Amino acid sequence: MATWMSDEGLGVRESISEAHILVTELYNPANQRNPARINEIQTRLQQLQKTENAWAIADSLLQSEHSAQHRFMGALTFTVKINVSWNEINQDSATEIMQHLINRFVALVTNGEQAMVVRKLASSLVAIFRHPVTPWKQAIWQLAASLVHGGYVSEEESRAVDFQERILPALSKSGSGALLFFSIALAEEALRLDSEPQDGTGDTSAIQRAIHNIKDGLLLVQFVLREIMQHAKAAGDDAVDVALAAEAMNSWKTWLGVHGNRQRSSAEDVNVLSVRCGQTVIETLRVPSLSESAASVLTQAFETRRWAFDNNSLWLVSEILADSIVTVHIAAVRSGDEGTESMSFVDLLIAYVSHLHLDIFSDPMTPQNAAILTLIHGIFKTPGYASIDDLGTPRVLEFWNDIAESLPDQLEQGSSRYDLVKSHLAEVVLGLSSKLLYPKSEDLEDWGEEERSEFGAFRHEACDYLLSAYPVLGVELVTVFQRSATSCLESRDWRNFETAMFCIAQLSEAVDENGHADQCLDAIFGSDAFARLCAGGETGIPLKARQTLVDSFGKYESYFERHSSLLPGVLNILFESLNFELCAHAASRSILTLSKSCARVLTSDLPAFLDQLDQFRSKPTATVSTMPKVLEGIATIIQSLPGDQEKVQTLERILGFFVQEANTAREEVTGSAHEFGRLRGHLVLSCIASIGKGLRSENEVIDIELTKEGDPYPPSFWNSGPGAEAQRLIMEAMRLLIVDFPVDSSIIEAACDILKAGYTERAGLFVFPPSMTVDFIKSFPLGISGTDVIMATASSFLASHARHAMNIRSEAEALIDHVAQLFSSMLQNPDVYDPETANAGIDFLTRLLPKYYPILFTPMKSNPSAESPLAVLLHFTLHALTRPEPLPLRAASAFWVALIDLRGSSPEEMNILESVHQEFIPRLCYTIIQQIAGRCARSDLVALNDALRRTVFKKMALARPALKAALDSLDAQVTDANGQQVPLLSAQDKSRFLESLAIARGSQKPSLDLVRSFWLKCRGMNFDYAQ
Amino acid sequence: MSLCQNRLQEERKQWRRDHPFGFVAKPKRAPQGGLDLKNWECAIPGKANTLWEGGLFKIDLIFPDEYPTKPPKCKFTPALFHPNVYPSGTVCLSILNEEEGWRPAITIKQLLLGIQDLLDDPNPESPAQAEAYNLFKKDRPQYERRVRMVVKENQPN
Repeated sequence: MATWMSDEGLGVRESISEAHILVTELYNPANQRNPARINEIQTRLQQLQKTENAWAIADSLLQSEHSAQHRFMGALTFTVKINVSWNEINQDSATEIMQHLINRFVALVTNGEQAMVVRKLASSLVAIFRHPVTPWKQAIWQLAASLVHGGYVSEEESRAVDFQERILPALSKSGSGALLFFSIALAEEALRLDSEPQDGTGDTSAIQRAIHNIKDGLLLVQFVLREIMQHAKAAGDDAVDVALAAEAMNSWKTWLGVHGNRQRSSAEDVNVLSVRCGQTVIETLRVPSLSESAASVLTQAFETRRWAFDNNSLWLVSEILADSIVTVHIAAVRSGDEGTESMSFVDLLIAYVSHLHLDIFSDPMTPQNAAILTLIHGIFKTPGYASIDDLGTPRVLEFWNDIAESLPDQLEQGSSRYDLVKSHLAEVVLGLSSKLLYPKSEDLEDWGEEERSEFGAFRHEACDYLLSAYPVLGVELVTVFQRSATSCLESRDWRNFETAMFCIAQLSEAVDENGHADQCLDAIFGSDAFARLCAGGETGIPLKARQTLVDSFGKYESYFERHSSLLPGVLNILFESLNFELCAHAASRSILTLSKSCARVLTSDLPAFLDQLDQFRSKPTATVSTMPKVLEGIATIIQSLPGDQEKVQTLERILGFFVQEANTAREEVTGSAHEFGRLRGHLVLSCIASIGKGLRSENEVIDIELTKEGDPYPPSFWNSGPGAEAQRLIMEAMRLLIVDFPVDSSIIEAACDILKAGYTERAGLFVFPPSMTVDFIKSFPLGISGTDVIMATASSFLASHARHAMNIRSEAEALIDHVAQLFSSMLQNPDVYDPETANAGIDFLTRLLPKYYPILFTPMKSNPSAESPLAVLLHFTLHALTRPEPLPLRAASAFWVALIDLRGSSPEEMNILESVHQEFIPRLCYTIIQQIAGRCARSDLVALNDALRRTVFKKMALARPALKAALDSLDAQVTDANGQQVPLLSAQDKSRFLESLAIARGSQKPSLDLVRSFWLKCRGMNFDYAQ
Repeated sequence: MSLCQNRLQEERKQWRRDHPFGFVAKPKRAPQGGLDLKNWECAIPGKANTLWEGGLFKIDLIFPDEYPTKPPKCKFTPALFHPNVYPSGTVCLSILNEEEGWRPAITIKQLLLGIQDLLDDPNPESPAQAEAYNLFKKDRPQYERRVRMVVKENQPN
């Protein structure tokens, strides 16, 4: 016995004895319900496993006759000790440990040890193999020889005996099993080592030594599997050692992984062996008790190790798939006689055909492959719903989708093979049809959300297939579903009708705009049965079918534009469908789409639509998700009426209702129905805003840039003529829901949409007096939610009047003053600082700068006083640069960039700008330098750099002294290596930074890199990403 | 075939083989019916037991020629109400930033799962749109109401 394993040392026997007792205790049933005790035992055992005596403890436990658990713990202790003493192990001790472990391994196997102990000791052997000083190469060969010999045989001696011819046949059954355990453990370790940095170099590294074992590992697999198959032939399927065979197959898969990670071209013999070994695995498919494991391993190999199969392998698989027990299993899956447990055979089938891809359609096709394709098509006949009861169909569909996508690029159109594939793609369509049927309501009741979703996903996958197949199959594909739709509509077979319409709807992507399938669609939508449906004569149509039909209308927008005579009927169905919760959303969407594209032809049907609107608006389905869309659609049709007079009557009818609703909402919010009132108010304003959107005729949109000076609110039909009442109704609704109405950001947003609706028009129902926008904006207090939307509306308002800015001077001034007041409040009282208002207000200033700067600068002229609104605004933007909130900071930076870029158009304007720059650029420079000197967050550097580089680039003369002064003012100290306080930045650092900035000349990246390094230096290098 | 195309083909295969439940990811179709591998249309479901549950949010993935060296651009269509989604719909997320967390090994599946996580776990340090960010910071009940509305507007068909 080696000295390091001796039990003679100080306290060794005590430790050994303690370890034995602890293991006994660990597995004592009495302790199993006492986690604290178990934990205590484990902790102590772990301590012992790391002591100097651990070798002796491990060996003693491994030889224990008390229980397999003791021996298991012995093997585990060896592994732990090898890892703990990793740095102390030298070549001699490694050899000694390896030799000792091999002897113990052989002894255990000879004594018929339990698998768990043998497996654990195999891991210990791998642990010592992994050590970089271990001179162990052909480990499987040597261990096999030792097993045959009955004790340790040196590597040199073992290599003198042929592994395949002499050693393997001499192994006992338990010996080959134990060797397989070691082989798998070694292969798995090699796979792990592949992804880790290596100890040792060249040929001596563990991974290189492991590679020497690939061939032996594969030979062992082949030997074991052949033995098992021979035994099965002789003694019957019941006598097969299923577990051992599964180990062998897994071993093949794992060694393939190791070999696959190498340069395979330099190891032809191993390539050949891998393939042959694979063929042996394929043969096991014929052994009933092994076929499932084999199918699963082969499927994985097909997916990840394509090279492990040659033509012979493929031929072998095809033979077995076409006519064997595997075929019987697949047929059983198809008839619903076998469930998920047999899916591995279907998986193998798919893996095989996916491997061959288009090559399976050879000319001529082998009888086996023809039979396999028949099997594949047959999967679609599996009873039950795809993805729920039938798991085969989605997998088969994946294959066909791939084929359909590749065909046009890979085979010549019109060739016999192309046509052959085409015929199969068509067969798939027919097979799929029944699988797409929506579940019956009684089945659906038992489904959870997940099942519904799974089935929905399958339907979409199937439609993805249809779209992939369309370039190959053409309009004939639509014809298949059209025929089904027409006949099912006639016979009121709603379930099949729904399926056909679902497919037709999904195919719209391919055929709507180009009109290729118009004849098919005519056959459906021009039929008498469809006319009956339009007239409301089909009350029995189930909701799902209605929902799909409604959805399909919206998808065939171009078709209906070309067939406008069908529209009234279609819209009738859509309005009727608004009453059903399941359909309301899709119906409102389709109403909007079709009204927009076919507005002109629908004007004569407007009265009927208005009647339907009157009915709909009181229904529970009239919500903020549906009703605004319907109103936008109707407004689009109204906009197409030839005269304003006709429009007014209709609009007054609609708007009158909304004023009533606004009154109701006002009453509700003051009472217990507060939330209803809020929702109603929001719905009213959203609907009015949608009417504004619908009335916005694209032809009449004014080009803001081209609009000449003029009255911002000229008298028109809509403000002083017959349209004035309609406009008054909108203003009234707005007043009711804004003035003294609880502030709510969704209501504010809808109100802003109403105001904005008229900004792109010269005259119209939604063109309000400019004062209305100003009063609206000024009516909100500081700090409310929705300020960003309000200020964005103010910006849009100013933009819409940009060409005659001076004509709305008082309104612009009022808005600027309003913002200045908000900013002033926040400067004076930091507690009310509101980042949203800060950001929205600064953004508003930035957007008004290009066109309204003369108004912004007028009050200050040449000498800005601290109290002027302009001074407040500019101070506030500088203040925002110092705050932690990212959005106002970014907005302030953008503002300064815009201000520095600004050029006056007259000498007077230039003078004003110059004086602003003179006054504020030094302050801007000071603020930025303070911030980038480590105060700001790293994520703010980009924005601060933008303002800095623009200043440097455009205003260097002003910026240089200002930046120098700002840098000089930085006086942070640090402690140096000698414990002395020294400046963080030397004068040299500061001047180098300034000069580098000047050289960067405002370029984004160089400047940002400088600013980042500067920030890091000031903040401390531990903030570097690289740390 | 370029590295970009090869990788995208592989991504397509992997996605077909295994993708997270409820997600959609597929290359767009060119007008002739072929696939445009550098332009994917995807959909991300809201996570269960979050405000976003029940919604399915459409997002386009646009891959540059330099992919996978450079990350794809991920853009919600239409733009999504979310603090870390720019008004253009582009997602602001560290793993999508070449200078921060992007690594060529990141798969489309991981990207989409990352964006799904972001939905209910916004990063207030990197706001990308004022609207959602302000409500998220200032008026959480209103933020949640808006999210519920967004979910309602983005129901799976």
